[in-house]
Amino acid sequence: MQIYLPIAELSMNLFFLIGIGGAVGFLSGLFGVGGGFLLTPLLIFSGVPAPVAVASVTGQVAAASTSGALSYYRRGGIDLHLALYLILASTIGAMIGVATFSWLRSAGQLDLFISVSYLLLLGFVGTLMMIEAVRTLIRRRSGVVTRDKLPGQHNWMHALPLRIRFKKSRLYISVLPVLAIGVFIGWVGALLGIGGGFILVPALVYLLRVPGNVVIGTSLLQVVAMMCVTMVLQSVTSQSVDIILAFCLMLGGTVGAQFGASAGKYLRGDQLRALLALLVLAVAIRFGLTLVLPPSDPFSMAIIAGGLK
Amino acid sequence: MRRALLALALIVTAAPAGAEKLVSTVSNPNVLITSSFDGASLSLFGNIEADGSAPGPYNVIVIVTGPLQDRVTRIKTNNLGIWSNTDHVNFHHFPSFYAVVASGKLELIAEPELLAAQAVRAEDQARAASQSTGLKSERFSGELVRLMSEENHFVLREDGVNFLSPTAYSVNIALPSDVANGPFLVHTLVLRNKQLVAERSEGFSVRKAGFENFVFVASRQQPLLYGLICVVLAIGTGWLAGVAFRR
Repeated sequence: MQIYLPIAELSMNLFFLIGIGGAVGFLSGLFGVGGGFLLTPLLIFSGVPAPVAVASVTGQVAAASTSGALSYYRRGGIDLHLALYLILASTIGAMIGVATFSWLRSAGQLDLFISVSYLLLLGFVGTLMMIEAVRTLIRRRSGVVTRDKLPGQHNWMHALPLRIRFKKSRLYISVLPVLAIGVFIGWVGALLGIGGGFILVPALVYLLRVPGNVVIGTSLLQVVAMMCVTMVLQSVTSQSVDIILAFCLMLGGTVGAQFGASAGKYLRGDQLRALLALLVLAVAIRFGLTLVLPPSDPFSMAIIAGGLK
Repeated sequence: MRRALLALALIVTAAPAGAEKLVSTVSNPNVLITSSFDGASLSLFGNIEADGSAPGPYNVIVIVTGPLQDRVTRIKTNNLGIWSNTDHVNFHHFPSFYAVVASGKLELIAEPELLAAQAVRAEDQARAASQSTGLKSERFSGELVRLMSEENHFVLREDGVNFLSPTAYSVNIALPSDVANGPFLVHTLVLRNKQLVAERSEGFSVRKAGFENFVFVASRQQPLLYGLICVVLAIGTGWLAGVAFRR
């Protein structure tokens, strides 16, 4: 069944859209990430113009993260104080990101930038996650009792000025690294159409030493807020948010996320992290190949005025 | 019915003076895009009215031009092992859709001068719109036409005219599902002995209707409100799913 997307100005199969929304939603529920880093490339590959894909995926990520954030909120797994600082900073980051996005688009280097960023970002994060997960798996196999990371441990970032106390996270740290992380996540998220949960969670754990019980909830809330801000910004500046496309993806995504979350209970944390690392690395390699391999068609075209693509 | 009669009346009065007159009409002057839109098919019917002194055989070329857009064609080259866009040519006021349907091979039914003067071939359109010159312009024009053809936005069918009688014909035009919205121009050339004997222009429009149109207009005229509604929709869907699956 075809459905017409009024902003993308093309028609796509409704079941295909709900299907990829559901599949990505399943993975996002399983791993506790937004799934934008999978969905945006998938949509672009299926023929949705890149600006529409990047802008509309924000809706799906916001919807999928909302149900997760709500359940963490009920359990008290969110540091609202910390989330507020992150959200404010990432709003500024998102504004810069949306501006960068329009600039790159007019310069014709959007594809290159998206490919390189995905490669570097996903490659880096994926490799780190893989190393960590493999190390844990080996330790577990050899029977050594693993010691959790010490949340109380300080690094040089905590010694910076403007220190603030975050009660729920039991942290007394400088606000500067918090803001820097927020701005970066906001910028990357708006630019690449991803929530950034898979960068934010490691950043909160390893850089700020936020305790495990509030990390995922706080990250999810931050992702919801930032995706909402990005959605409004994209609607106003590039006018490329397709509400029909976003809604089809949301329908599949929210349902898929629930099944993913219950499937996640049957896997151990380190196994999940290893699988997620594999997934992230696979996407990174896919983007790397497009940069290195000769393209099937060196020529490409785009509409620069009088249309929306 | 009344609209069809009116169109017919216009056709008869607007026909050019000459030995031959052409009357024609488009089957659907308003193509509406609704939620289940998956491309559209149009028919063009025409009749060549000859005054007996100069009977056929006639040949027909129908040129359909979609709304104009500014486009850019880019080329990727390998720099230090990485493929990236390095050169481009802009095309101003370039048709988003261009179909040429003829009753025979273009070079066999029309003089080359006539084809050039009317800019019948898609390459002529690209050349006219190109913002570059020389070999580079030629190369990028050719590639742009190829890319447009691969996406079914440019069509050349040299056996697409159905002659119902020696003077009456019909032409089918297929619009792809991602067709641009706006006014379309249909230009018909009637040829005898490779010379132009009659021509006619008419139009049709493609536009979104109903809810699709409402969404599009809202996103353009009330972008802030549109964005906020997207946010409410996203959070509402997420919240509903969370509540529905809690148990």
